[in-house]
Amino acid sequence: MTPLLETRGPTPLLETRGLGRAFGALQAVAGVSLAVQPMELRAVIGPNGAGKTTLFHLISGLLAPTAGHVLFRGDDVTALAAPARCRRGISRTFQITSIFPELSVLENVRIAVQLKIGDNFRLLGGRAVLEASEQRARDSLRLLGLDDRADELASTLPHGDQRLLEIAMAAAQEPALLLLDEPTQGLSPEDTAATVAVIRQVARERKLTIILVEHDMDVVFDLADRISVLHFGQLIAEGTAAEIRANAEVQKAYLGGLD
Amino acid sequence: MIPSRLSALAALVALAVVPWVLARHQLSLLTDLLIAGLFAMSLDLIMGYTGMVSFGHAAYFGLGAYASALVLLHFAQPVPVALLAGALLAGAVAVPVGWFSTRATGIYFAMLTLAFAQFLYTVAYKWRDLTGGSDGIAGVPKTPLFWGGPSLASSRAFYFLVAACVVLSLFVCRAVVRSPFGRALQAIRENERRFTSLGRDPRPFKLVVFVIAAVFAGLAGALFAPFRGFASPEVMFWVFSGQGLMMVIMGGIGTLVGPVLGAMLFILIQEVLSSYTEHWMIFTGVVFVLIVIFLPGGLVGTARRLGARG
Repeated sequence: MTPLLETRGPTPLLETRGLGRAFGALQAVAGVSLAVQPMELRAVIGPNGAGKTTLFHLISGLLAPTAGHVLFRGDDVTALAAPARCRRGISRTFQITSIFPELSVLENVRIAVQLKIGDNFRLLGGRAVLEASEQRARDSLRLLGLDDRADELASTLPHGDQRLLEIAMAAAQEPALLLLDEPTQGLSPEDTAATVAVIRQVARERKLTIILVEHDMDVVFDLADRISVLHFGQLIAEGTAAEIRANAEVQKAYLGGLD
Repeated sequence: MIPSRLSALAALVALAVVPWVLARHQLSLLTDLLIAGLFAMSLDLIMGYTGMVSFGHAAYFGLGAYASALVLLHFAQPVPVALLAGALLAGAVAVPVGWFSTRATGIYFAMLTLAFAQFLYTVAYKWRDLTGGSDGIAGVPKTPLFWGGPSLASSRAFYFLVAACVVLSLFVCRAVVRSPFGRALQAIRENERRFTSLGRDPRPFKLVVFVIAAVFAGLAGALFAPFRGFASPEVMFWVFSGQGLMMVIMGGIGTLVGPVLGAMLFILIQEVLSSYTEHWMIFTGVVFVLIVIFLPGGLVGTARRLGARG
C-alpha cells in the first residue's frame, strides 16, 4: 500500500506514514513512519529536542500534523481530534504530570473511566454510571498499588505516586494503545524500578500495546520489545535492544553523547 | 455528614417559622436576601464548579426580571408562568452567548461575558417601547399562584414562594453537581487539557452548565420583579455581576449553599449601612478583603475545614 513501509502479516495496531510537524521553520518531526504491532512494547528514544513528545502529541491528536498520516487499527485517524482518538482506544500520560489536583485519587481515575464509557450528560441521578466507573477505577488503582490512597486529594500524593496515578487513569480507560511520556521522569532509582515493574505488569494483565518515551536507558533496554530512535525529528534507527546498542549511528547521535 | 444534615434541617425549620417571628419589613428583607442568594448560587455553578468566571451574570437575572415583569403586566398570568418565562428567556439568550463565550477561556471568557451583558444592558436601556428605558417597568403585580388559587400579595405568601424556589433550586443544583455531568464539570475546572485527552471535548459541557446557570439566575430575576414591583436596567448592569462574584467568594466558592449565605451577608451589610452612609461599599470592601485573607474558602469553606479538623 505504501512504499515507505513493508507491512507483512497482521495489521499493525498503530502506524504512522511520513508523519511530520513543523513549527514555523523548525521541523520538529519529519517523515516518521513506524508500525507498532498489537501487544508490543515500543520505546521511542532520542536526545532532548529530538521530537519525541511532539510525536506523542501527533499520535494522540493534541497536535495536528503538517504532513503524513496516523493509522489506528488500519483506519486513518489523522483528521480526528484528541477526544475522538481517545474514545477509539488511544490513552496517554504526560511528561509533566497532568492530573486533577483538587479531586480525590479515586475521582481522578473514576472520571477517566466515565469520560470513556459515556452518559456524561446525565444531569440528575446517574448512580449506575457512577458506580460502574468507580468499580473500574478501584480495579485500576489496585493494579497500580494506589488503592490505599484512594480518598486522598491527588495534589497531596508524592511525585512518584502522581506519576503512577496518571498511568492508573490511562489504564482504567482500558485502551488498546497506551502512550507513556517519560513515566519515570524525576523518580528516584527505587521508584523507577517499581514503576518499571508496574508497567510490565499492566502491559501483561491488560494485554496492552504500549509506546513509551523514555530518557532512562536502563528502563528502555529493560522493558522494550523494540526501540525507535529519533534524532532531529527523524527516525534514524529501529530494532531490538541489542540491535540498537550495536548501531553505530545511534551511538554517535545519542548514546555517546551521554558519556 | 450528620452535622451538615442537621444544619440543613435546622435551616429548613428556620425558613418555615421565621414568617411568624419577623416583622413585615424584616421578612421582606429576608425575601430580598434569598433572591440574591439564588442569583449567587447560580453563578457558583459556572464559577465554583466549572472554573468559568463570568463577569456578565447579571444579564440573566435582568432578562428574567424583564420577562417576568412583562408577562405579569401585559398578560396578567399567574406568577409561576412569569417565573417560567423568566427562566426560559434567560436560558434561551444564554445559548448563543455561551456558544461564543465558551470558545475562550479564563480572562477572555470573562471579557466576552461582560461584553454580551453590557450589550444586553444597553438594549434594555434603549428599547423604551418595550422596557421603559431608564425608568424600567413599574407596577408589576403579584398575581396569584394560579387562577382561583392562593393570593401571593401578602409579604408572607410571597416569602414562602421565594423560599420554596430557593430551596428547590438548591436541591436541584446539588443533584446536578453530584451527577456524572457535575463530576465532569469539576474535572474541567481542575485540568481542561487532561479532560480533553481523556476523551471528551469540554465545550459542550461548558455550554450546558452556562445555560443552566442562566436559567437559575433568570428564575431569581423573575422572582425579583413581582417582589419589588419593578424591573429596571440597573439589575443588568455590570456592577451587579461583580457583586455576584463577591457574594460567591465571601460565602464559599464551589459550595452552592455558601454563595447563598455570602449574598445574604452582602445584602445585609448594604441594607444596614446604607441607612447611615452612602459609602457602605467601603465597609463591604473591607469585609470582603478580610474574608479573602483570613477565611480562604469563604464562610462555608472555612466552616467545613474547621469541622473536618475538629
